[in-house]
Amino acid sequence: MSRFLAVEDQLVRMQRDLNRALDGDPQNIKWGMVIDLAKCVGCHACTVACVAENKLPPGVVYRPVLEQETGTYPAVGRKFVPRPCLHCQNPPCTKVCPVTATYKNEVGAIIVDYNRCIGCRYCLVACPYSARTSDFGDWYTRGTTEGQGVVQGQKVAAEGYEANPSAEYGKKWPKRGKGSPVGNARKCHFCLHRLAVRMLPACVTTCIGRATIFGDRNDPKSLVFEMIASARAYQLKAELGTNPAVYYLA
Amino acid sequence: MQYRLFPALSIVAIVGLAVGSYGMFDRLVNGLNPVAFGSYVPWGLWVAFYLFFLGLSAGAFLVTLLTYLLGIKAFQSIGPLSAFMVLVCLLCEALFILLDLGSMHRAFYQFFLTPSFSSLLTWMFVLFNLMGLIYTLKTYFLVRGDIIQGASKQKGLLKSIYQLLSFGRSDYDEAMRAADEHRVHRLAWLSLPVGLLFYATNGAFFAILINRPIWNSALTPLLFVVAALLSGGALVTFLTYVYVQNSQGLRDTLLKYLGRSILFLLCLFLVLEAMQFFVGYQTGRTDIVTSLNHITVGPHWWIFWVVHLVIGCLIPLVLLTFRQKSSAAVATACFLIFVTFVAVRYNFIIPDLAVYKLEGLEFVFRHARLSTDYVPNLNEWLVTVWVISAGLLAFLLGTRYLPIVNDKLGGMDHAS
Repeated sequence: MSRFLAVEDQLVRMQRDLNRALDGDPQNIKWGMVIDLAKCVGCHACTVACVAENKLPPGVVYRPVLEQETGTYPAVGRKFVPRPCLHCQNPPCTKVCPVTATYKNEVGAIIVDYNRCIGCRYCLVACPYSARTSDFGDWYTRGTTEGQGVVQGQKVAAEGYEANPSAEYGKKWPKRGKGSPVGNARKCHFCLHRLAVRMLPACVTTCIGRATIFGDRNDPKSLVFEMIASARAYQLKAELGTNPAVYYLA
Repeated sequence: MQYRLFPALSIVAIVGLAVGSYGMFDRLVNGLNPVAFGSYVPWGLWVAFYLFFLGLSAGAFLVTLLTYLLGIKAFQSIGPLSAFMVLVCLLCEALFILLDLGSMHRAFYQFFLTPSFSSLLTWMFVLFNLMGLIYTLKTYFLVRGDIIQGASKQKGLLKSIYQLLSFGRSDYDEAMRAADEHRVHRLAWLSLPVGLLFYATNGAFFAILINRPIWNSALTPLLFVVAALLSGGALVTFLTYVYVQNSQGLRDTLLKYLGRSILFLLCLFLVLEAMQFFVGYQTGRTDIVTSLNHITVGPHWWIFWVVHLVIGCLIPLVLLTFRQKSSAAVATACFLIFVTFVAVRYNFIIPDLAVYKLEGLEFVFRHARLSTDYVPNLNEWLVTVWVISAGLLAFLLGTRYLPIVNDKLGGMDHAS
């Protein structure tokens, strides 16, 4: 018998928080995220999971992990800062969109309507966190050999993975190259399509250090609510007044 | 009008269209995939050229105001030319911005379906269209008399075009002339708030962005207006030299006035620019200093020091100060100012974008689209050549075949 008390994995708790939020009044939900920088080891699993989940093309990234150096030699340190869209509650990006293609939805997530976006990229320029990227229509399989007679040629590879659309926003998008989201602004959307089927965002479930916490920040019983109340919690570039829904723990 | 330049410039425009069509084809077929800009420098050469043409239109806009609102006689001979030039510049602006959009087709209907009036881009769209409408009508009413009277004298296709633009009329009497004068005057009044809002909105478009320290300043809209008047005024001055005949010293008089105005605007612009650099460097903020260093000592330092300051400012300053009585010298100075002004626009757009807004972004998820190193590629230049050639051809055809330039008549009298 173990000498240690069993500790519940926080993923289990977050899943319970998620279920409770979805079972309650959807009007009250305000999704939020807390990233514990003390736990992040810089493995980039969240970045890779996000790319795979949303089938992001080359040059499009929703959640890079920044590597920052602190202090001066010899008292130097290194920290890893995952940077999803911060889902600002006073977002500078939505105000500048000329066609209401990007907006804050009822659960506090900043989303992009791919079928409205004209691709002016004003929102990219307005975002203080560089959290938006534009889809320029690049392909991972472009430039690879067709490999006649070989099973895994360019076409097969593209058809097998890249050409198939992602499930972003829970919609059925056309095959890649046949319209949206090519030419559009793209960004993290808190994996709303996963939340709709009671699954936590891909970056949360793949975080090996359990550094990313997600839940309803309006729910006092949730882990994310608890963490936001921590004395270690802070918002990135708080001086800009954007009031992000993504918090960091120092 | 000096027709001798028409064949040569037409050939230049047609060659430009032919050369640029490869880039246009690539752009229209492959979307924004062929361009060099990415997500961290989302705007590039085309937005710089949009601003360049915006400036050129502003100078012509000013001349039309002076002519048809304030009734200054000195400018009356270039009034219709200026109104037409506003239209051509608006055409080039529209082409550059449309081609810069990732989903160009949606711009034609989405602004009407789901407009957001909290966005200055929506207001720019509204004001741009109003400017286009006002200046189409204004140009038309300025030349309507000549078109109706000229319809009988033209032959072939031109006769058909003149008859089409005459809307079936063959007479043009004093009452119609007076009515057209009145319409032009009212349109000039209307263009005053619309134009000022349009040019100021373009400056405010950048100035409101809180995370862009070089742009986020109350000085930006003012700098935009002065820059626009300077570059546009310089173009109008140059065109006056080219298009207006020097009968009874009319052209030399005009150039004297315009030259002095340009000298004043150039000095004012340099003072504002110097202030921007002084204040920026004095803040000592890393992002601001990095942006400014990008202009002054960055990889494209020569754009600022050589193209902008030496060719676009110093030489014109000397010419406008010491050779202001020479029309050729004034025209040369103005030519240098407006041609090199694209360097100012480039140095406005790129340096702020070329600085990473979060520490560490440069080291993660490397990709050409996620870099701040931006140099326009061949596709961007070819498309630029195509759009400028299209604008040049439209200008040449308009001034050659429509009664835009008339040395004997001017201003309100032009329509009679």
